[in-house]
Amino acid sequence: MKPAYTPRVQRNYVGQYRPRIDGIEKASGRAKYAGDLMVKCRVPGLLYAKVLRSPFPHARIRSLDVSQAVQLPGVVDVLTFEDPDVASLKSTNAGWTDGVDTLSYERMMWRRFRDRRVLGSHARWVGDEVGAVVAAESEEIAEEALRLIKVDWELLPFVLDPVDAMAPGAPVLHPELADTNVLPEDTVGGADVFVDKGDVTQGLADADVVLHATTTYHNATQNSLDNWNCLIEWNRDHFTVWSNSYEAHQTRMHISEMLDVPLNSVRVVSPYVGGQFGRGDTGDQPFFLFTALLAKRTGRPVWFRHSRRDSFHDGRQHVSYTGTIGAKTDGTITALSFNSIGNVGAYADHSMFAIKFAPVEATEVAFAHIPNVRFEGRGVYTNKMPACMMRGVGNSQLNLILGRLVDGLAEALNADPLDIACKNFGHQWEELPDKSLVTVLKTGAARISWNEKRHPAGEGPLIDGVKRRGVGFSFHPGWHAEWQEVRRGEVHVTMTVNADCSVTLDAPTVETGTGSNTCNVLGCAEALNFLGISGGDVHWISTVDTDVSPQDCVQTDSSVSFLQSEVMAAASKEIKAKLLERIAPLLDATPPELDIDAGFVYRKDAAGGRRSVKELLYQANLDPITVSLSRRPLGTRTGIPFIATFAEVEVDAETGQVLVLRLVVVNDCGTVMYASGAEAQQIGGQCIALGESLTEEIIYDERTGFPLNFNWIDYQIPTMADMPEIDPVLLEVWRGEGEYGACGIGEGTVTCTPRAVLNAIYNAIGVRIDSIPVKPETVLKALGKTI
Amino acid sequence: MASSVTTQEIVVRPPGLQLLINGQIHQLDIGSSVPPTTTLASLLREHLDLTGLKIPCDQGACGACTVIMDGKAVLSCMVLAVEAQGHEILTIEGLPSDDCVVKAFAEQSEPGYGTALQCGFCTPGFVMTARALLDRVPSPTLSEIKEALSGNICRCGCYAGIAQAVRHASEIMAKATPS
Repeated sequence: MKPAYTPRVQRNYVGQYRPRIDGIEKASGRAKYAGDLMVKCRVPGLLYAKVLRSPFPHARIRSLDVSQAVQLPGVVDVLTFEDPDVASLKSTNAGWTDGVDTLSYERMMWRRFRDRRVLGSHARWVGDEVGAVVAAESEEIAEEALRLIKVDWELLPFVLDPVDAMAPGAPVLHPELADTNVLPEDTVGGADVFVDKGDVTQGLADADVVLHATTTYHNATQNSLDNWNCLIEWNRDHFTVWSNSYEAHQTRMHISEMLDVPLNSVRVVSPYVGGQFGRGDTGDQPFFLFTALLAKRTGRPVWFRHSRRDSFHDGRQHVSYTGTIGAKTDGTITALSFNSIGNVGAYADHSMFAIKFAPVEATEVAFAHIPNVRFEGRGVYTNKMPACMMRGVGNSQLNLILGRLVDGLAEALNADPLDIACKNFGHQWEELPDKSLVTVLKTGAARISWNEKRHPAGEGPLIDGVKRRGVGFSFHPGWHAEWQEVRRGEVHVTMTVNADCSVTLDAPTVETGTGSNTCNVLGCAEALNFLGISGGDVHWISTVDTDVSPQDCVQTDSSVSFLQSEVMAAASKEIKAKLLERIAPLLDATPPELDIDAGFVYRKDAAGGRRSVKELLYQANLDPITVSLSRRPLGTRTGIPFIATFAEVEVDAETGQVLVLRLVVVNDCGTVMYASGAEAQQIGGQCIALGESLTEEIIYDERTGFPLNFNWIDYQIPTMADMPEIDPVLLEVWRGEGEYGACGIGEGTVTCTPRAVLNAIYNAIGVRIDSIPVKPETVLKALGKTI
Repeated sequence: MASSVTTQEIVVRPPGLQLLINGQIHQLDIGSSVPPTTTLASLLREHLDLTGLKIPCDQGACGACTVIMDGKAVLSCMVLAVEAQGHEILTIEGLPSDDCVVKAFAEQSEPGYGTALQCGFCTPGFVMTARALLDRVPSPTLSEIKEALSGNICRCGCYAGIAQAVRHASEIMAKATPS
């Protein structure tokens, strides 16, 4: 048996190791995802929509001839960019999503980059949806119809590299917005120099050691298995939308505002979703709109789905960082300076989150004791796949440079990088050293046997004549404490206690796999512990339906694991008051004279013994007792907990192969809400993190701008055989506000691993590699070998 | 050879497609409602509502469409429906309700390994691959488990939990079978 974590406070349900509440449903294949509700035999009259995609990285449609497509038997409707239903639609972008709070068109983020048209005529990357969409009796017929559309393309020069795209004379992707490819400043991200604390020039002048580095984070993609889809019906002036989108109410707002129909005439239903990882947090959502238009025009249900190839539509933003660190000989950092260029691809989406927002958060909570800090960053349009909101957005790219500077500085000062980290990093509300960071690093170091395995770079023992081993780590501030979630607006929960004391819990959240559903059931059982119930007595409503559900808590920021449980803790007090109000007359008492514990009512003066709540409820009015509570997240700025990954690798100098032997993933959680789920996030995140470190990368043909590996054969995702032993470590050191004071951890489990692996590679071979993925040829080149 | 099909065979074989799925014979009309290019995966889902299996890649790269054909795990997106005639097909819906593999995947929560599923989309494919493995090798080693399941992708990354679930299923089987 591996060791279990030790909770700071013993609770009845919260923090348990236990199966997921949806375990049997999912393992038996009975769980229904949106695509399972749309199969042909279930939906009579179903039509299939397919959209035209650009075969060129940069082109304009001069004209379309759809006459042959329209005549193909089985084609029911063809909608083009010239049709008034489409041409009249407003420009849009990614600002509909991840506002977390519900956003209208006027309040959406990134109002300065409304850079997407619904079925526009200007194609900006290979795969861009443009020109026309077909509805047909089968997908095959729809695909054939697309081939019959004659497109007169005007080919435009294209640019793939962001530095090239910034040069004078480069083809401009969005001339309607700006005469350059550099994204303009905006209200959320701020100016190009968006952090300028103290005086970095002076700080570097004061330093005894100054170090520079450059790191490059490539563009991976989320690869949720459940390709994005929607089925839309139009009936009695109402749209019904079934989708595997991760935010139901915001999807409703999007469709309502873009098609100019009332909110109550759009119903969005979201059952289980097969993985998210940021996939749906993109502006690539016009498919909801043209599918809705086709449903209205044809009067039939219309299904649109992305194929696996189409699902390469969003990903990790390719960011290059240059960083400079200055320090005194005692290890005190005097200045940190960063400059980044993000390749945002063809559309801006949430680029400013990656390039600016995430570093601002990190500066506030981790660089608070460093006197001089400067960040400068730019997002640049190119003719590549748009990319931004992948799990760990912005923080993954920042960590790649941060961990490099700390490791390099330690080496320059002949110090242990663990000591450099603890000496300098922490949030402003606590004196250094930061207790959370110290505990996270000490624990991780012990688990990986840091002191025994760490050696001067490249000086470890030689194995089999060609292999060397090394250890490395990287750390990062967490970023999902309750105070950081205030921008969500209100969090809603409805708890219903039925007459038999069973509980129906409507804590609306689209369940994408994170396990927040199990967190919520444990949180509910904990809050209603006075009823003597267990998790099995709580029924969690698994489908969000905007016609009946309260506003869903958007499944992002990994913080649904505790946000709704905090509201439940407050709502349970109202439940108890209502129960006592109903029961008191039966006992000839007043509510203040009574209390409830372990499912029994008793008089506070101890007279009259105990009576079962269930028994009494059956004697009273049998109506369920329902409490709905909406509350903003608590805003006290409590700082954040820290996270870290420690890695041990073995590098083969002959083949260039990097074998990751072991990963130790350490998270301070504040409070562990559901231990098995949290460990699943820690372990599970490494599939993405190791993939990004070693194999995952979208490759383009530089000559044609064509992506070469939009499939799972050439784009390689780690399988079970590729994964090392992973040691998940849960800690409770830091504490936020509220009943639990927890912090979301799932997103950040991917953040520190690539840098930990790179530092371990350096420790093994003594040669720095600062870009990922590290493929065998990268290692051989770094070692000066010809391939 | 101009033709290897005899007149007698054409007469004897009933029209359309007959498939033996989960112990039941299904008669399907190839041509009009089911195009001959239909894959077994698509047929099972779209025409028979057996939606446990999923089709994330449709090119044999992820294993989520795995079914058991004549005792072997196969990728149903790589098998044409017409090729399945004459074979015995088992989908996840055909497993007994108390199947030990399903139970072990659902219940994995042993400390240090996480759960065996998160979003659950790949799970039926893993369950069927694991079922076929355990039918063949009742007590697999960890490396045998890894090899057998390395054709399946779990993007939530529950590989450690899945390996534990397969081990637990193997233990349940061993207890149920007197040595």
